[in-house]
Amino acid sequence: MKKEWLARLLVLALVVGFSAAALYARWADRTLEVHAAMPEKGGWLPNTLTARADEPLTLRLISDDVVHGFAIGQSDQQPSVDILPGKPVEITLLFDKPGTYTYYCTRWCGPNHWRMRGTIEVEGDDSSLANDPSGPVAPPLYLMLGIDLDAPHDVQVDVTRQPSARRGAALDTNLPAEMLSREYVRAHSPYEVWQTLRETPAASPLSDADLWDLVARLWERSTTPDALQTGAQLYAQNCATCHGTTGAGDGVFAAALAGETSATPISPGLGHETVAPTDFSDPAHMLGASPALLHGKIIRGGMGTGMPSWGLIFTDEQTWALTDYLWTFTFQFQFKETTP
Amino acid sequence: MPKYDLLRIPLLRKTLESRWPQLILRAAALGGFAIAILAGLLGTRVGNHNFAIVVVWIAWWAALMLLAVPLLGRGWCAICPIPMPGEWLQNGAALGPVQDGSRHGRSLKRFPKSFRNIWMQNVAFTLLALFSAVILTRPSVTGWILLGMLLVAVGASLVYERRTFCRYICPVGGFIGLYSQLAPLELRVVDTKICAAHKEKSCYRGNAEGYGCPWDVFPGGLAVNTNCGLCMECLRTCEYDNIALNLRAPGADLDPPHGLKLDEAYKAFIMLGSALVYSAVMLGPWGALKTAAYSIGSPAWWGYALGLLVLIWGLLPGLFYLTTRAAQALAPVRLPPRKLFARYAAALIPLGLTAWIAFSISFVFANISYLWPVLSDPFGWGWDLFGTAGAGWTPYLSLAVPMLQVVVLLGGLFWSGRTAAKIAAEQGARRHVWPVTGFNTLVTIGLLWLLVG
Amino acid sequence: MMKSSPALLRNAVFLAAALLVAFAPLPLPQTPPAERTFRIDATQFAFAPAVLTVNPGDRVTIELTSLDVVHGLYLDGYDLQISADPGQTATMTFVADRAGSFRFRCAATCGDLHPFMIGKLHVGPNTLLWRSIGLALLAMFAAVMLGMPRLRKA
Repeated sequence: MKKEWLARLLVLALVVGFSAAALYARWADRTLEVHAAMPEKGGWLPNTLTARADEPLTLRLISDDVVHGFAIGQSDQQPSVDILPGKPVEITLLFDKPGTYTYYCTRWCGPNHWRMRGTIEVEGDDSSLANDPSGPVAPPLYLMLGIDLDAPHDVQVDVTRQPSARRGAALDTNLPAEMLSREYVRAHSPYEVWQTLRETPAASPLSDADLWDLVARLWERSTTPDALQTGAQLYAQNCATCHGTTGAGDGVFAAALAGETSATPISPGLGHETVAPTDFSDPAHMLGASPALLHGKIIRGGMGTGMPSWGLIFTDEQTWALTDYLWTFTFQFQFKETTP
Repeated sequence: MPKYDLLRIPLLRKTLESRWPQLILRAAALGGFAIAILAGLLGTRVGNHNFAIVVVWIAWWAALMLLAVPLLGRGWCAICPIPMPGEWLQNGAALGPVQDGSRHGRSLKRFPKSFRNIWMQNVAFTLLALFSAVILTRPSVTGWILLGMLLVAVGASLVYERRTFCRYICPVGGFIGLYSQLAPLELRVVDTKICAAHKEKSCYRGNAEGYGCPWDVFPGGLAVNTNCGLCMECLRTCEYDNIALNLRAPGADLDPPHGLKLDEAYKAFIMLGSALVYSAVMLGPWGALKTAAYSIGSPAWWGYALGLLVLIWGLLPGLFYLTTRAAQALAPVRLPPRKLFARYAAALIPLGLTAWIAFSISFVFANISYLWPVLSDPFGWGWDLFGTAGAGWTPYLSLAVPMLQVVVLLGGLFWSGRTAAKIAAEQGARRHVWPVTGFNTLVTIGLLWLLVG
Repeated sequence: MMKSSPALLRNAVFLAAALLVAFAPLPLPQTPPAERTFRIDATQFAFAPAVLTVNPGDRVTIELTSLDVVHGLYLDGYDLQISADPGQTATMTFVADRAGSFRFRCAATCGDLHPFMIGKLHVGPNTLLWRSIGLALLAMFAAVMLGMPRLRKA
């Protein structure tokens, strides 16, 4: 009988003991868990978090299906973390200012990937420091210039060859001093600048195509290789999926956005309209748009087009870098993208 | 070929007579089983990082198909944890007979006669095959199925005597039994005359030393491995030390071959057919087929289900039936067609096992590296028990796998051919061997095309 | 042991035939190496195209484009691996110096059926398949010839 009880004890210890130990360890673990699933299956769970300023917030990030990523918008305190399926990863965040922060998925996880966003409410005693992305200190340039983002801006231009900044630089024409400032370029469309140049007497010996080269040179002067490199990376990670790697609006989700295929449903059941992604290599479309307008579209998103709003995600510097990079699809810059 | 009785090794005899080693192994397996159920129901939804999927369908399956069945036959059944809770309740003891093992099953019923065959196991395995794409990949489904098997086993033990679940219901038990005939190991009696003269038949009825055969088998009458679960109760109950555990030539049960019953013959076709289907669905390059098998209830899935059912229950047995009719036409024998069909189905046993080994080699070596992270983090909760949670996925031996598959399959075909030749010679109709072996060769070529094509 | 010599001879013949089928060098057509580029679209849970055919010695480039979630590609036998996010095509280039048929598999967990997301690369004719079919036919004859019990002398 003694042996029988020993046997029973052994079986129960191995079965109940193991299981109970596992469940207890699970119950005792109080780490806050954030699950990531494809947006159609729920996206972030939870999608709102609270924290206190200057107190660390530890999260365990768990993917329930495919590869996701985690990052905090408009911030470089936390580099993007990959969340591999079945491999939870822990991170600790520290916010020094109260306010509302956005966390978002950084790896494409389907056509609705960009809808995967959540907010962290950071409370603190000193509300004067509040980070409030809905009302930034300086409003974006398009608002200050009063640009209507939704107004048509296509122009009828006859660009026979792709404008080249290198050729533009070689023309050595005395450009009007005001045009050399970055602020001037950002506030004007290439077409406006080209028209102004056309009326400048000093430029009269130059052909129309030469003038476009000069415009390309101006645009190149207004940015830096570093900014273009940043822009190239942001574009590859966030934009190429719809707008295509060559900017031609032919990314892998383009057909679905244009409603040409039902293979990949975009925002099923959400009732959102989508249109074909913009072709950045189309001069008629690009030459009539000012950098401020593109910058504004990135920040706000395209209402009713399927274009996400990136205002809560990118810093202003990043948005400008991306805007600068978009011109490389229209203009030839002396910039060589380096792959990391 | 001579046989060698392993029980002549005193240490091994002691180890097998004692209930403790077996109990410890089974208890550990039951602990693992409980963890698998918990992981399936509560752990990560990502199958390839969940203990339930990786340990059951990759590690356990590999151990079963690549080692246990070919080498030990029903060796797994000897330590299988699933019937354990039911047996505890049935016997009122976890270890051994508290008073007298012959009281075992007194008030319990025998399983109804019409179900004392493996048709239920055939159906159960077919059902698993129909839903396999989901069962094999979704932890919660695996969790519920494991729990369900445990509950059915407990229920069967409370209503019916002995290991009714194992013998007549378990979806895995049927094919383990069929293929255990190939094992180089058998439990038999040393001298059948002693058994015939022994009135008490304590090996079947039980005594103070142990229970009557849980598998409802009289060891003195054992001719093939199929229904012997290697549980060693008869070794404990035999009053004459008349039990032998023989090392033997592999496949001795097929030499000379015993005719199969129709349910067993069908099991052979179900296994052969599902090896073909699994190879196509899981290892083939056809994405639409995978999606069809996965999207239960969709029209595509109904197509897959119909195809599977027709192939394994109709087409393969039908073709084989025609094959045996052709054999009959070549060399008439006085045997009803059904009997001839079942008799030659024994020739499919070696090919069936090697088909499953060849199929398993492929996905086991490709995916066994998922085991290392899962051992450290069984539930996908972010644990790292042994420091291997971060180990990445790497297919092993990807260059050697196709050659191994070819060698194994050809070995099976050769073995099946020899078996067919023996059956044909036994019938006195040697020409029968050609259509039967031709059928096997066609199936083998199909498998080769799917696995290494 | 004069009696067993016919059996011995038969075994030897089968063994020799098996070795011949298994290892005899084949007069395979030699093709000059070429550059080959494949664009493979990856979706849950299929590659398209899923079957690639090249000649031994070809310089093969695979451009993996994902159309839904992050996928990867691991090539058996060559032990090469890449992974591609949607919109960011990943490329692998290698010389197909190993003949045979190789499976490639998704290398980034992409959902339930991920372990079964598989394609094939054929480098030259699949001699393993043809040889093994030959061996299967041989095994069939060998099994019948060697497996048939002798007739007892009446």
